Amino acid sequence: MKSSIRYIFLTIVMVVTVMLTSACSSGNGSTTGTGEQPTTPASGNGGAVKKVTVNFLHWRGEDQEVFGRLISQFEEANPGIQIETQVFPSDQYQASAQAKLLDGSSGDVFAAFPGAQFEALVRAGLYTDLSGEAFLSAYNPSLIEAGQKDGRQLAVPYQLVYNMPIYNVKLFEEQDIEVPKDWDGFLAAAEKLKQAGIIPIAFPGADIGPGQFMNVMVMNNAPDPDIFVKLEAGETKLTDAWWVKTLAQFKELNDKGYFQPDALGTKDQGAGALFVQDKAAMLATGSYQLAQHKKNNPELEQKLLAPITVPANEMIYEGIHTTTFLLGVNSQSKHPEEAKKWLAFLSSPEAAGAYANATGQNVTVNGVEYETEELKAVAEWSTRKTRFQPRFTMKNAEVQKAVTGSIQAVLAGQTPEQAAADAQAIVNQEIGK
Amino acid sequence: MRRRRPLILFFLPGLVLYLAVFVYPTLSGLYYSFTDWDGLSPSHRFVGLDNYLRLAEHIVFQKALVNNLKFMAAVVFCQTILSLVLALYLQRSTHVNAALRSLYFIPAILSSVSVGFIWTFIYDPSFGMLNNLLESAGLSSWSRNWLGDAGIAIYAVAGVQAWAHIGQMVILFVAGLQAIPADLLESAKLDGGTRWQVFRHVTWPLLAPAAALVVSYTTIQSFKAFDLVFTMTGGGPNYSTEILSTFIYGTAFSSFKFGFAAAASCVFLLLIAVITFLQFKALRTERVTY
Repeated sequence: MKSSIRYIFLTIVMVVTVMLTSACSSGNGSTTGTGEQPTTPASGNGGAVKKVTVNFLHWRGEDQEVFGRLISQFEEANPGIQIETQVFPSDQYQASAQAKLLDGSSGDVFAAFPGAQFEALVRAGLYTDLSGEAFLSAYNPSLIEAGQKDGRQLAVPYQLVYNMPIYNVKLFEEQDIEVPKDWDGFLAAAEKLKQAGIIPIAFPGADIGPGQFMNVMVMNNAPDPDIFVKLEAGETKLTDAWWVKTLAQFKELNDKGYFQPDALGTKDQGAGALFVQDKAAMLATGSYQLAQHKKNNPELEQKLLAPITVPANEMIYEGIHTTTFLLGVNSQSKHPEEAKKWLAFLSSPEAAGAYANATGQNVTVNGVEYETEELKAVAEWSTRKTRFQPRFTMKNAEVQKAVTGSIQAVLAGQTPEQAAADAQAIVNQEIGK
Repeated sequence: MRRRRPLILFFLPGLVLYLAVFVYPTLSGLYYSFTDWDGLSPSHRFVGLDNYLRLAEHIVFQKALVNNLKFMAAVVFCQTILSLVLALYLQRSTHVNAALRSLYFIPAILSSVSVGFIWTFIYDPSFGMLNNLLESAGLSSWSRNWLGDAGIAIYAVAGVQAWAHIGQMVILFVAGLQAIPADLLESAKLDGGTRWQVFRHVTWPLLAPAAALVVSYTTIQSFKAFDLVFTMTGGGPNYSTEILSTFIYGTAFSSFKFGFAAAASCVFLLLIAVITFLQFKALRTERVTY
């Protein structure tokens, strides 16, 4: 008898241990809200009803406050639905989110990056087809193409970003420099700034710089919007004139001292600091940093420009845009209709406007009233001839890395031809040529 | 047998956990290394040895392997020598030495990500403390683009890895040194041995097991230094700090080639096992008796 009691006790201890361990191991992102839970309706006719919980998975931890407000509004209008957000930092999002999405327990509505991640999620069949949904009419059709695949609208890109250098308007005016219209003009402006003791371009060469600046540098050298698609198909090469010329222009900027010294060792924060402190006149990143700069230096007047790498009469594109933060509904979701309701709510100009003005990010939704000077300045670009970010048209992340690596190679002193050849060798392996 | 049953129940939870979180994922990894699974799709194809054959000629994998060996050599050399020297100075149990040992141990309790961020700022070529210090000391010719120069970036990261873990190794060496009977050292000195001779012929042979532990632990650590490299350089510039763990991460989670990444992981595992085995063999000493 005694022995049986001991067995029962040990079994209970074991079960509790296993339960505790599994409880500890579940979830490492930050989560707000609770799971599915019974609640009593305010009007109350007695019985408790179950609220449907829609899990919203994304990487924008900095947007939690505005999302919190939007969620409150949404839940007020939809008492039967509760939104639970789960946030992973963007550098962990690739690794963590996809595992969560696969079993349908998380991410009824989820965000994705355009390009390689979107493609992989499409291949895995994780998107619900949103084609024909009424809320799509709220968006600018040309700005949600990045969420389409095989004629189906699988996701809606929510944010609109211009991946173009930011320039310090006051410094340009002080040096009597107008926005250059061709490559010679760009070099002349950079030289003038350099002579005045100002760093022409702060370039975060250690991290995001090559991947950002390559877009504006290549947009007119290879105006074909499918140039990198063709690269991955083996129909063009990095050793062809369009990329070698782009690398040569990168090298020219570096060799002439138009980037800050040791640009390859400078990270995003370092380059940003040079710009915010008025030490650099341009910053080779994108519009998504405007709000943060303004916060750090309220006196700063910023606008966007793109180096035109060809003669003015050969220019086709004026800049680069990216539509990102692709919001989709998980095909494994147990509550797809409620998930779509949340997406529809976010698509309203009021919700999108609140989001944009709180975060300093432009959005793809039509009819949004922007409040800050920065958002208004960026919104002007919606009427200009811009091209979707070429880097994101590469579906293979290793090809992307080889391309950006070749930029770092020329800045480190390699010839454009050699850097292009080395990168092409990696591309060949990746595409099986 | 009936009396043993309760004891079996005690280690069962641990065994279940070990099987679930180590054995099963390891065997799954081995299985997936023979497939083309992308990590997301519900199905995959069996591709035999294709992934392993591709690895053999994969340019980036080869770069990562060479970088990892450079990184390992630099970390093992610096960390072992420096921690041994510090341990020799700090072996006596005085209050000052105990405080210094704790001080040297502090970096080991910081997360690698924090260490990476701190050193990224120290190494920054424009604002970094290191170049500023060198310039203040009149050594501006020693200033470098520490993380941006492809020739030295891997060693700059290795230096941080060594800095972060020296304290741990000092503790291991001090434990080994304190286990050496004092009368042996004293008699060696009485016999007229110089400090070097005493170290070479008495201390070192008795310290060899601790040294073997330090070297093998450091080797394994240097192969697993993912978070530090990822935070500081992300494998750049132009693959110059790409190591096997960052290569595997990128292949799996950015390129969505889980099968290929699993094959690289298996090679990685084998490599660590072989190197550790060789180190143990090289540092193995006959039992020393006096």
